[in-house]
Amino acid sequence: MKFSDLNRRAHLYLGLGLLPWFFMYGVSSIPFAHNAFFEAMDKAKNQPLWKVRLERQYDAAVPEDPEQLREFGRATLKLVGIEGTNFGAFRQGPDQVNIYSYTFFNSTQLKYFPAEKRLRVEDRRFRWDHFLTGMHARGGFEQKGWLPSAWAVVVDLFCVASLIWIGSGIYMWWSIRQSRGWGWVAIASGLVAFGLFVVLL
Amino acid sequence: MYAALFLAPWLLMYVVSTMAMNHRDLFEKRDAPAPKPLGKEREVSYNGSFPEKADARMMGRQILASLELEGAFQVRREGAALVISRNDLLSPRRITYTPTDGKVVVERMPNPPHAFLEKFHRRRGYDTGYGVDTVWAITVDLFIAGMIFWALSGLWMWWEMKVTRRYGAFALLAGLLLFAFFVVTI
Repeated sequence: MKFSDLNRRAHLYLGLGLLPWFFMYGVSSIPFAHNAFFEAMDKAKNQPLWKVRLERQYDAAVPEDPEQLREFGRATLKLVGIEGTNFGAFRQGPDQVNIYSYTFFNSTQLKYFPAEKRLRVEDRRFRWDHFLTGMHARGGFEQKGWLPSAWAVVVDLFCVASLIWIGSGIYMWWSIRQSRGWGWVAIASGLVAFGLFVVLL
Repeated sequence: MYAALFLAPWLLMYVVSTMAMNHRDLFEKRDAPAPKPLGKEREVSYNGSFPEKADARMMGRQILASLELEGAFQVRREGAALVISRNDLLSPRRITYTPTDGKVVVERMPNPPHAFLEKFHRRRGYDTGYGVDTVWAITVDLFIAGMIFWALSGLWMWWEMKVTRRYGAFALLAGLLLFAFFVVTI
């Protein structure tokens, strides 16, 4: 097999295999870029974003250490029947700890008020724009468990594939002699415009 | 093809910044022991007056204009002081205006490569009120349209090549199944 054939096949099959991610990143960029529009549209529905699922008495010491705070978050989530989700635990101040649990479809926040010994659990209403942006923003190897890590590995794979698309695309363009002139114009104008943004933004 | 060649720098930036964000913990661990301090750039007196009922944003915009540092920014009040974060991609600055003595302190914020990339990736434009940001936002919209177009045109081009249909279908199906698995389980 010639290099040009290998290049075209790699471009094609990588593109097809990772097409759902490519499509997802493209579509989910719309609510990011037009956040104000989507917020206004949702506001017009006049529905609360968070709904209280339960409120109960709870007495537990809040650790200072971030690692222990995370374990505290895990234990508190387990207490209300949430296990195995991505989550984060954050101190909002001396009198409040927030624990966020999120999957692609559901988001729940726990608010613990140590002084009042009170725990509140709230579920977020499903929104398509949040579903998409949540998927777009998902990544990183901070979360424990093989599933979030596997997703992060695919994100890396997608990035490497994108670099290959750029390289193989440029190679394919160069192979078509009659399109070299306009191709140079497109590359040069893209680079100049991008460079200007880097300096001016 | 020409749209892809024109937008290649955007794709490259989004890809490299995604990799940096996907491995943020590595950079944060590296920077954690000694976060770089802010470097004082200048301290000037500000003698201008603000319109009656001027809000923090209006005041921030006016101060930035007087310093010739106009551009996207965020502003907050810290006691009596007004703290402006000027989101300059290459030279982010913190500008503190203290109305009691009329002093403005301009400090340069640290801007390591991973932070620069992340800020660039997250850059929006339509709501800043500055023309260059609006034009940037339009190019981001163009890039989004380009991505969706590439995905659809790629599908069409694959279907047109009969010789690659079988392996292509296998690659597409495998990708769809893996994606669906993640959507359901994560």
